Amino acid sequence: MTTETQHGSVIVMDRRRGKLRAGQGLLQGLRVVWDHWAGSFRKNDNFSKIHGTFTVEYPEERLPMPQAYRNMPVLLFDDESGHELCTGCYQCQRICPPQVIHITQAKDPVTGKMVPAATEFIIEYDACMSCGFCAEVCPFDSIKMDHVYELSTANRAALTMRKAQLNRSISYYTGIAPGLWAEVQAGAMKKLQGSIKRRPDVIGLAASLTEKIKARRLELAAAAAAAPAAAAVSAPAAPAAPAAKLTPEEKAAKLAAMKAANANKGAAPAPAEAPVALSPADAKAAKLAAIKAANANKGAAPAPAEAPVALSPADAKAAKLAAIKAANAAKQAEAAPVSVETAVATAPLDAKAARLAAIKAANAAKLAAEQGNNE
Amino acid sequence: MLKTEELQINIGPQHPSTHGVFRMLVTVDGETVTDLKPVFGYLHRNHEQIAEVNTYLQNMPYTDRLDYFNAMANNHAYAMAVEKLVGIEVPERAEYIRVLMVELTRILNHAGALGFLINDMGAWQTQLAFGMREREKILDLFESVSGARLMCNYFRFGGVARDLTADFMPRLKDLLVAMPAFIDEMERLLRENEILLQRSEGIGILPKDLALAYSVTGPVLRGSGVAYDIRRAEPYSIYDRLDFDVPVGSVGDVYDRILVRIEEMRQSKRIIEQVIAQLPDAQGGHINPKARQNVRPPVGDVYARVETPKGELGFYLVSDGSSRPYRYKVRAPSFINLTPLGDMCRGYKVADMVVILGSIDIVMGEVDR
Repeated sequence: MTTETQHGSVIVMDRRRGKLRAGQGLLQGLRVVWDHWAGSFRKNDNFSKIHGTFTVEYPEERLPMPQAYRNMPVLLFDDESGHELCTGCYQCQRICPPQVIHITQAKDPVTGKMVPAATEFIIEYDACMSCGFCAEVCPFDSIKMDHVYELSTANRAALTMRKAQLNRSISYYTGIAPGLWAEVQAGAMKKLQGSIKRRPDVIGLAASLTEKIKARRLELAAAAAAAPAAAAVSAPAAPAAPAAKLTPEEKAAKLAAMKAANANKGAAPAPAEAPVALSPADAKAAKLAAIKAANANKGAAPAPAEAPVALSPADAKAAKLAAIKAANAAKQAEAAPVSVETAVATAPLDAKAARLAAIKAANAAKLAAEQGNNE
Repeated sequence: MLKTEELQINIGPQHPSTHGVFRMLVTVDGETVTDLKPVFGYLHRNHEQIAEVNTYLQNMPYTDRLDYFNAMANNHAYAMAVEKLVGIEVPERAEYIRVLMVELTRILNHAGALGFLINDMGAWQTQLAFGMREREKILDLFESVSGARLMCNYFRFGGVARDLTADFMPRLKDLLVAMPAFIDEMERLLRENEILLQRSEGIGILPKDLALAYSVTGPVLRGSGVAYDIRRAEPYSIYDRLDFDVPVGSVGDVYDRILVRIEEMRQSKRIIEQVIAQLPDAQGGHINPKARQNVRPPVGDVYARVETPKGELGFYLVSDGSSRPYRYKVRAPSFINLTPLGDMCRGYKVADMVVILGSIDIVMGEVDR
């Protein structure tokens, strides 16, 4: 009996038995089981067959995972520069349904401003529900779902993954999901270049590479510091060279060189060896910094007077050192206008270095002042 | 007649035949069940309260964990509820993909459910293994498109998370080639089998009026002879364009439920074939690009329901205008279908009780939430 409706009908299931005699139904069922048993000696490599095995001897053999497969989230870093794609924007932390992602955003140690990088990134794998929302929402394509599924451990604490354990290279991810990475590659790499520009020192580098890159940078810096005079003398002669686009590596090396040169200057206040060339604007900035540093020093000075308890020698020393540094910076700034006449074509390197030194001095002075206040 | 003493026994909560942690307080007179009281709550996970502190999107993966056999169908109901509340339009192509996934879910659920039912009857693992093999193939497809086999988390507000992969359609077509052979074989194994007939014919009869009074849905209701299928009664998504039959039983016993499930698999295959034919012409992408996932619905409430393989799954949402639901209520088919268990089992033997429970096809994740 069927009742017709617009798109199909209502069928009343036929409960009548077929023409089989008693016992034949059982035999028919046994035949089905027999067919499957006989088929189990063949391999079924095609979805269109129902007989045959498609067993995979698991620990020895493994099925390839589909690209979209998601197990646990990992953080990507760039193979070439060693920089992480993550900027610590908190999008994943906000969307995570079981709230297992914890991010600490990086701060510039000098200026104290936020830097587009994460200093710590924790995912509690033991509570993660593998929903993949973090990977979906990530605007920098930094967080991706890994394909590793053998994570069982007897130690639950080992499943709280820190950033160093979450880091995977982009080349690793392209190995497991080439198609998915190709879709987002261009945008992700562009955004990464943007964040690298705003990351000072070693912030944002993959943890496993930080030490390596640091060591390499020091090496380069030492090489550069070995001939500071030569570099300084030749600088005005070739002013166009630094204008060319620098790779992050070269930039870091130069910065380190400047720092080294600066440190040299601070140790032996005899800048006669190389006339520091500054543009007027930079000179102004340096002077301003020096004044600020001096001011901060002044603020620090009354503090010990109010508190008769003697400052610890270390603090006093730090304050003195800061003062010297500030004075040095000021001296340099004063020297600048003179040298402007001698070398009009300025090397941006040295200007930058001077500014950096001034900022550092100001910071040190501030620190000293704060310490003084605390006493 | 000899006077015998009645005995009260607990079956479960830890018992292999209870399909999870579920307790039946059974009063038996010898082998005969004179009364049965289902006791739920052992798998309570505070699902609805958790949902009220989550944002709307964050609840999507939690719905996977209701009826973990049919994550796609649960996703569908929840996505529909939020779309109705916010007023998000779904592109045609996304609707087709959704229906495709949900109908595949129906096949895999029935293949598994019948396997477990036969398991409960004592044909240990045979039918279950055959059913699970077909289920594996479908789960492979789910994995390639959604990233996970069971906890798919595939639906989004306004569509689905990802478009179908390039190799999805060829694999699906291969699967459909095998499907009739699989269903026919299953019928051959079950339909004429004398042992199965003895264990299922006339057992656990749920009369039509009682089924309606308990507001039972799904194959249990259709097994009792009521041709009620939400896909037909209140067509949602694109079901008004698809041809399919609604199988119903005539007696309302375990055997009718088996037959209805077998026929539903055939109808699901029919729907999938139509979807494959119509999908290339469908407009739009896999998701509405204008749809925001971080929704903030206007103040109001909504009830959306779908026909999952187990029956009517509904989500009742109340919004207070914030980004989190003020109230989130699940109308779970397994839970409602389980309530007439006492009436269905009264008068039958203890061994039949296990079969009757199996024929309802429950998942405790959905019953207790």
